[in-house]
Amino acid sequence: MVMTPPPPAPLPALAGPRFLSRDGIQPLLDLLRADGRRVIGPTVADGAIVMDEIVSADQLPRGWGDDQAPGRYRLVRREDDRLFGYNLGPSSPKAWTFPSLVPISRATRSEGKVTFDPVLPEPPKIAFLGIRACEIAALRIHDRVLQGGPFVDTDYAARRADTLIVAVGCTVSAPTCFCTSMGSGPELTAGHDLAIVETEDGLLVEAATPAGETLLAALAARVATPEERARATHEVAATRARIGDPVALPGLKERLLAQPDHPRWAEVAERCITCGSCTSVCPTCFCTSVTQTTDLAGADVVMNRTWDSCFSPSFAKVAGGSFRSRPRDRYRQWLTHKLATWEDQFGTPGCVGCGRCVTWCPVGIDLREEAAAIAPVRPPEPVIAPVAATPGAFAVGRVSAVRSETADTTTLAIDRLDPAFAAGRPGQFAMVDLPGFPPLPISISRFTADGLVLTIRGAGPATRVLCGLQPGDEVGLRGPLGTAWPLDRVAGRDLVIVTGGIGLAPLRPVLDAVVADRERFGSVRLYYGARTPADLLFRDELEGIWPHAGIEVALTVDRAGSDWSGPVGVVTHLFDRATWDGSATHAFVCGPERMMQATVAALAARGIGAARTWVTLERHMECGIGLCGHCQMGSLFICKDGPVFSIAQLGDTFGREGI
Amino acid sequence: MASSAAPARPRVGVVKMASCDGCQLTILDLEERLLDVTERFEILDFPEASSARSAGPFDVLFIEGSISDPHQAERIVELRARTRYLVTIGACATAGGIQALRNWGDHAAFRDAVYARPEWVASLDRSLPVADLVPVDAELRGCPIDPDQLLELLAALATGRRPQLRDESVCQECKRRGAVCVAVAKGVPCLGQVTQGGCGAICPRYGRGCYGCFGPREGANVDGLLRHLTADLGHDPAEAGRLLAGFTAWAQPFRSAIDATGGAPEGSRRSLPMAPEAARRAAQEGAR
Repeated sequence: MVMTPPPPAPLPALAGPRFLSRDGIQPLLDLLRADGRRVIGPTVADGAIVMDEIVSADQLPRGWGDDQAPGRYRLVRREDDRLFGYNLGPSSPKAWTFPSLVPISRATRSEGKVTFDPVLPEPPKIAFLGIRACEIAALRIHDRVLQGGPFVDTDYAARRADTLIVAVGCTVSAPTCFCTSMGSGPELTAGHDLAIVETEDGLLVEAATPAGETLLAALAARVATPEERARATHEVAATRARIGDPVALPGLKERLLAQPDHPRWAEVAERCITCGSCTSVCPTCFCTSVTQTTDLAGADVVMNRTWDSCFSPSFAKVAGGSFRSRPRDRYRQWLTHKLATWEDQFGTPGCVGCGRCVTWCPVGIDLREEAAAIAPVRPPEPVIAPVAATPGAFAVGRVSAVRSETADTTTLAIDRLDPAFAAGRPGQFAMVDLPGFPPLPISISRFTADGLVLTIRGAGPATRVLCGLQPGDEVGLRGPLGTAWPLDRVAGRDLVIVTGGIGLAPLRPVLDAVVADRERFGSVRLYYGARTPADLLFRDELEGIWPHAGIEVALTVDRAGSDWSGPVGVVTHLFDRATWDGSATHAFVCGPERMMQATVAALAARGIGAARTWVTLERHMECGIGLCGHCQMGSLFICKDGPVFSIAQLGDTFGREGI
Repeated sequence: MASSAAPARPRVGVVKMASCDGCQLTILDLEERLLDVTERFEILDFPEASSARSAGPFDVLFIEGSISDPHQAERIVELRARTRYLVTIGACATAGGIQALRNWGDHAAFRDAVYARPEWVASLDRSLPVADLVPVDAELRGCPIDPDQLLELLAALATGRRPQLRDESVCQECKRRGAVCVAVAKGVPCLGQVTQGGCGAICPRYGRGCYGCFGPREGANVDGLLRHLTADLGHDPAEAGRLLAGFTAWAQPFRSAIDATGGAPEGSRRSLPMAPEAARRAAQEGAR
């Protein structure tokens, strides 16, 4: 069939969508080819719908659909004769705009002289037919990566210079699709020349550029009826609803980058074969190597830009070995680049949600699942409304029991309190006030049914007065305040607790929780150091309740007397020679700040990284709710954002002098 | 014609051990490119191509075939001593070859079942890769080897650079060539993920699964693949393990995975039917 180039037609005053029957696609193909373009569109080959050169509408996958799942793709027959009733197959426009192998230079070496002749690209004019919104988003990402900065990939730029796009808005979706989450589909918004939406009626075609309008005018199609338009709008909207929002994008970058040590990286690496199929089918992955083919003399060289993959061992190799030798390192590199660091480099995530990496992973690893497991969206911690939040408005509690722990430390049980106190979580604190003395932040060392327990070291006038209270005395309390130890995160995993001196008090509620539900946690180890044996707090628990509950307790003192046969020295020595593996362990640390610095370093050396190490910090506090400004540390209020922090949260500020 | 002033060409030999000669044929199949090779290299000893023989010494010696009998085991040590760069070519020389499947079996039982006069047969009870006996400088994988990789290695040897033999999976080659994944689209078990590329993904491009003739790639996660085939796709473990029991079965980690799954080839555990001649002889001996 020979088509003469169409005469320029006057554009209608209102260029709304036109209607084409499915058979009307052939004239469009002919127009594109008459414009000197190779038309790259969908066709059935080798058990999938792939992109290839199309000359006849008969090559289109009329009546074909597909069944996709992680690691699985099957062609299926549709019950209708739609041309675009399929979801994306393995090939993307990348194979044409950024081919897997392109010669970039020819070089010679002869008698000490060298020459380089860059290969000038002479790409064919291409029209893409049937590509989807996510693929246009991928092309726009490549535009930014490969020609949006100061350096341009000349081959890509030449191929993209005159690309005509006849895109299709999605009225189908696969279970692997997540364009909705990545903001790239299913609606066509920009980047195309002609937009097609296929419904049961036929094709609704709308121009988005002058080139598209010229094509549309030449097709001489009638204007779509309002009913046809409504059906098209409805089908695309239904696609969006079907896909839902499978990936929680807001904050994903920060959540992901905060988890460089997450045990899931090692777990996914046991499944990942590092074959690199995900990077090859990804429409945005752009990593390449320059390979050289030479004649036998090595004097005549052709340099080719070749697709490479961060999953190949040699990708990050230097003379001494690979910087990412373990599969877990390579998977982390890929996922964090796609979903996080790409944004810093190029302004958007490197993922458009096409789902190809999910379908075409030969072992069915699902990026969405991995991202959700490694960087979960935590439901906002329920804000427990503190009792008497406002400074000055204290609840009154009654001292019900007093116990002298050591020469300078006393434990007060306080009852008849507002029941809201009992809803507090391990690690929280209370502001304690005796009229006439300054209010003090005191960590809560136990929660009881009608109150709480405070363990106080008499270090100054106010604390000494508190230590001297007797049963029946009353005290003012505000709380519970601040953040808690992240017990939910530790559930099912191993926990190491390292404390010194009074630092055991804010950790006692953690140990209470372990005793109350021992099965909830893996191994739990407590390393505790005090100045002398007489300074050890909670002796009953250290020597009885906790070991009986299956908590491994190890004690050390700075100075021993004749009654001490245990270890002497700093607390980190207690696990110097321990045999446990820190790669999946969490650590809670509380003690003097110098001790915590040394402990955090010792834990890091055993494989417990910053994201899995938590400390509780002490600062001067007056209000306890982030209003008075006393407890600031960098950008953090210790009272409100803490006092419990992960080392990853604290970053460089932890241990820095004078902050 | 090379002038007498031309620098000496590297002296090359091609030697066969236990093999089918297919890799040597790949050298001859270079056809017109073979002329370039002979201009650059002096081929001293290549029985498949010429009756001229030489005992070396060699600058480059290509070894085809596995070490399968005591004579070969001695010879490879002698050859190594006369060779600067020893290059193993093909699955037999690099991994022990298809014949290494006998390594799981009862060697004496095989020999007695197959040969009428087994006492005349001197063979090792295992078929071994060359590198198990002598240091190897470079290897070309495959059954047979890939001609472009061969030329690349020759070019590297000629210019004294490191050959560009990529350590990527077959999947990478498949995808670069736009082939549809047979594992995902057809459910065909495919070893491409754990197999070193270099073949150009020939098998998957013709719709069949890779059977691993280039052998395991660096750090191949065979356990991960087997877990997927068995736990996710429901294949029988021994059947999945048998996928690995091919041309490079003896190479690690394929070998351990075959052991772990019980995928050792059937019939390798003795009880082969006896050849008629051996059966007759055994009967006669029994009668005496």
